[in-house]
Amino acid sequence: MLELVGVTHRYDDRVVLDLERFQVPPGAAIAIVGPNGSGKSTLLRLLALVERPTQGEVRLDGARATGPAARRRVTLVEQRPVLFRGTVRENLEFGLRLRGHRRAAVTRLIDDVANRLGVAQLLARRRHELSDGEVQRVAVARALAIEPDVLLLDEPTSSADRAAGQTLYRALAAERARRPLAICLASHQLEDAYRWADDVRALADGRLAPVTPENLFRVDLPLGESLAGLKHVCVGSIEVATNTDKTGPAILAIPPTDIFVSREPLASSARNVFSGRITRLSHPRPGVVHVAADVGVELVAVITEEAVRDLGLMPGAPVVFSFKASAVRVF
Amino acid sequence: MDFLAEGFRRAFALIFSVDAEVYGIALLTLKIGLLATLVACGLGIPAGFVLATKPFWGRRAALTVVNTALAFPTVVVGLLLYGLLSRRGPLGGLEWLYTWQAIVVGDVMLAFPIALALAAAAVQGVDPRIRRTAETLGAGRWLTAWTVAREARFALAAVITTAFGHVVAEIGSAMTVGGNIRGQTRTLTTAVTLYTSQGDFGVALALGIILLLLALLVNVALQALQGRGTVGRA
Repeated sequence: MLELVGVTHRYDDRVVLDLERFQVPPGAAIAIVGPNGSGKSTLLRLLALVERPTQGEVRLDGARATGPAARRRVTLVEQRPVLFRGTVRENLEFGLRLRGHRRAAVTRLIDDVANRLGVAQLLARRRHELSDGEVQRVAVARALAIEPDVLLLDEPTSSADRAAGQTLYRALAAERARRPLAICLASHQLEDAYRWADDVRALADGRLAPVTPENLFRVDLPLGESLAGLKHVCVGSIEVATNTDKTGPAILAIPPTDIFVSREPLASSARNVFSGRITRLSHPRPGVVHVAADVGVELVAVITEEAVRDLGLMPGAPVVFSFKASAVRVF
Repeated sequence: MDFLAEGFRRAFALIFSVDAEVYGIALLTLKIGLLATLVACGLGIPAGFVLATKPFWGRRAALTVVNTALAFPTVVVGLLLYGLLSRRGPLGGLEWLYTWQAIVVGDVMLAFPIALALAAAAVQGVDPRIRRTAETLGAGRWLTAWTVAREARFALAAVITTAFGHVVAEIGSAMTVGGNIRGQTRTLTTAVTLYTSQGDFGVALALGIILLLLALLVNVALQALQGRGTVGRA
């Protein structure tokens, strides 16, 4: 088990990560989601032991993890990975050679992983002859070649087209089926995270969010309150009513299961009623549908397939999202 | 113009006649230059690597000192070394004053900060993801350093050629601690100064041309060592 314990990490006195505990159990498939600047990449760099936390420690199987021995069990593929000087094959050889594999074994392992990741035809090429997407695939192949216990991936499909992204996720699933491998992946694409991961964790301003990762917004809460005891907070081009006494910078969360979806505005106690159009429908699990709509800002609601059928929801159709002020979480 | 033409004629005659004194001076210069460059770069490049990659207390002050040392006048280095190596100095027991070894020490003192500062800049110029990638693939300290050095190979080769160029071209320290003794400590630069002051322009010019050829030779050798490094290829 790889874990961060009591970690606070700072850049120039600014806290970028503050986690009491973050665990990656053996064989887990974890997705970390959150907006840009939420601390996802920093979290992965700390887990990968390429950066030391300002405070707290990284543990591997209960013991403090430091040095090359621990790093040989955990590997990271950065969001914009780099290849070393030399050919793709030489890059894939790097980690295997330093683990003392013989030449024949190195060749066999490289050919095997290159085929699985669809980079076999790139083996003789050099880094300047590859596209960004190809570099990303080669970097994942280079990481998988060394057969780590934990693979950390930072936005692994950011430079890939949809097909290449699917190939990568299939290869990762196949790898996990083949041998024990924990994967912790940072992504801003919730759809991919839900489809692929067993455990989706949301990060906001360097802290784990206590709610599901959809509908998280960084806001600035105004001073004072209105007559009705509510605060109206600007989120994108809409104003969300919430009854919080907090002020200043905060994270505002609207739980997707607390949003009512209708075709027309409902006469109800909900203080937040927004009209818009459906941007997409996704099916993370059988019977469950995520309805994303642009209501001035993109919100996601979770409803059943039956409700989708009854309301005749489809991408582009008009929709109304309603939720109570008390459903809005501020932290 | 006749004076210049005569100078060039004399210079080429000396070079092609394989004059023993001229070639003796050239060989001594080459020996001193290579040895001083080897020691200065052998110490300065790893130190530059540490300065560029390891955060430590006083790092900024160390960088300031090193950058100041880049502009250290050669004659002042010679003077300090003279004080150390003279009979009454703390290193007088070595009896190195007015020997080629003293010139090497002076040249190392001059080239070390150059190697250190330029190597630090070269390593800082390497994408930090290279170091992180090597580490995350399991590389230890030395292999990580080697991987970063490979990426900075052109800049590091420039460090070596700059250090060598500085060493073979300096005169202040070599004159002060070497003494320009014929057959023992006379280097190309001290000899050029001597023959020019004596009005023997042809010999001075011949030595100057050899000095340029030496610099060219070292550059070509380093480029050959870098291998297939053409622009845009990685």
